[in-house]
Amino acid sequence: MRIILAEDNALLRDGLVFLLRHRGHEVAAAVPDGDALLAAVAEHHPDIAVVDVRMPPTHTDEGLRAALALRRDHPDVAVLVLSQYVETRYAAELLAGRCDGVGYLLKDRVADVAEFVDALTRVAAGATVLDPEVISQIIGASRRHATLDTLTARERQVLTLMAEGRSNTAIANALNLSYASVEKHITGIFGKLGLPPSDTDHRRVLAVLRYLNP
Amino acid sequence: MGAARLAKRRATVTVWRFLLASFGGRTWTRLTYVLLSGPLCWLAFLGTYGSLLALGYLLIAAFPISGLAVVLLGPPALATALLTARAVGALHRTMASALLGVTVPRPPRPSSPPGPFGWLATTLSDSTGWRSVLYVLLKLPLGLVTPLVALLSLVVGGLGVAYPLWYRTAVHGGPDGRRPGIGFGDLHFDTWPKSLLVAGFGIVVLLAAPWLIRALLWPDILLIRVLLGPSRAARLRETRALAVDDAADRLRRIERDLHDGAQAQLVALAMKLGLAREELAGGDQAAAGALLEVAHHEAKRAIVELRDLARGIHPPALDDGLGPALRALTARGAIPVELELTLHERPAQAIESIAYFTAAELLTNVAKHSRASHATLTLHRLRADRLRLTVHDNGIGGAHPAGGLTGLADRVRTVDGTLDITSPPGGPTTVTVELPDRP
Repeated sequence: MRIILAEDNALLRDGLVFLLRHRGHEVAAAVPDGDALLAAVAEHHPDIAVVDVRMPPTHTDEGLRAALALRRDHPDVAVLVLSQYVETRYAAELLAGRCDGVGYLLKDRVADVAEFVDALTRVAAGATVLDPEVISQIIGASRRHATLDTLTARERQVLTLMAEGRSNTAIANALNLSYASVEKHITGIFGKLGLPPSDTDHRRVLAVLRYLNP
Repeated sequence: MGAARLAKRRATVTVWRFLLASFGGRTWTRLTYVLLSGPLCWLAFLGTYGSLLALGYLLIAAFPISGLAVVLLGPPALATALLTARAVGALHRTMASALLGVTVPRPPRPSSPPGPFGWLATTLSDSTGWRSVLYVLLKLPLGLVTPLVALLSLVVGGLGVAYPLWYRTAVHGGPDGRRPGIGFGDLHFDTWPKSLLVAGFGIVVLLAAPWLIRALLWPDILLIRVLLGPSRAARLRETRALAVDDAADRLRRIERDLHDGAQAQLVALAMKLGLAREELAGGDQAAAGALLEVAHHEAKRAIVELRDLARGIHPPALDDGLGPALRALTARGAIPVELELTLHERPAQAIESIAYFTAAELLTNVAKHSRASHATLTLHRLRADRLRLTVHDNGIGGAHPAGGLTGLADRVRTVDGTLDITSPPGGPTTVTVELPDRP
């Protein structure tokens, strides 16, 4: 995979480059700010861009702005946004348009190498990946308490994993269920929430999130 | 040059300096102030209070329910009077700044809740207004006496100096008929040599006039400083706001240092360890070993950085007192610093902290900007309730209040301390900080 990295902290930038190269990926460029990111993407045409939300000059949400610009100008480049803290509105903005090939993870996740690289690969392949921490905050802050309470514990688990962008197979593996039971649960969930069944994984992420935070 | 010539030269310089001080620019601006401020003050007073009194009298005379009218209109009238006094005070403050070179900071405007009652309450309770009224009342006699004395001395001096020219045109009575010139009792200044005496007297008066004016201005300047500047409450509010901002600023800096430094290091470290685990699981011990060595090195670096950060928040040595803390500080410095410490009793903890961090920042400035080869840090008690910290370096000087130094001065001011800089270009530089014993 060809990757471009945008991270202003030199220590983390070098660490991420090391990790990605160690795993056999090509890091075409590692840049410290949003403008350099856009230039590098235009030059190298990567498969995916990994972007830190906080970058110079204002250290607020430059990375997010750059990611949204990338989605607009280079729709075939996947974007994985790394954030220090959970900001549910960043997730909302990222998913406002198309959401295939978009990921939003907490920076802490990079400490778990396997998970991070897995998420990276999935986003580059077109899935939507959201950090479990983000999802739990969205569910927690959701006003749909009444309907969410009608879900069984298992259904809530499936819902959470679905919102994180997992495929049915991944959900089955994570919860030690059969593929068929997962499908049954999902149909049940969509029925209880009153949502039409969705064909693709990333579209159903959007549907679930839009349901949780209208 | 011979000793006699040197003495003569010195005398000439002194005389010239004296003349310059007497009749240089400042004298004329002082005179302008004296001639302007007195009449202005009287005008303002008569205008405001006179009109208020007239209004009051008219109301009482004209309206049957005049008592009610006075009660209703009294407070707004009073508030207006206070505002006028404030304006007059501001005018005098500006005049003093422009003409006398006496700068007194402007007192802050109080913020009032919206609505007429809010305005009324705030204006009537603002001490600035009342202090301005006091100033105006005290200035009235001064404003009468000072210009009169100034003018009188100028007139007398002028007439005296010109006496030899006009004495023949004057006539005064004497025991044996009329004589030219003027006379007092048995003294008659009616001859040319005696007129020169009068001229001499006139010169003395003229030379003394500027100093007289200066002396007369002294009580006025005292009043301005005491009554027209910000009140103690206003100054305390300002330094409190500075202290709160300073604290918030430091917390932000700590957060940033932790985030960019220690936290980033730990994340990078976790990444390496995760990779090492994978290598180990995959059987590649050599690769795992290499990763672990880098990770170990990074962990040690993170420890050092966290230790420095903790020291920047509160150095552990400070728990034992300023002596050990400052010794450790000077030992760590890039240039040799001589430490002279005489503190038999420990001041309050907050003061120790401020003194330590002030010394630390001053020494950092010396190391960064002064190009000095040697510095001295002294700390001793001025009085039972005041400490003095001095940082002196033999560097290139030219330090002026900007950026870091103003921040230091503000922090020192929050506990009613002072910071003075003597730093001529070319050096050497001395920064003197005075702090109270307790905040």
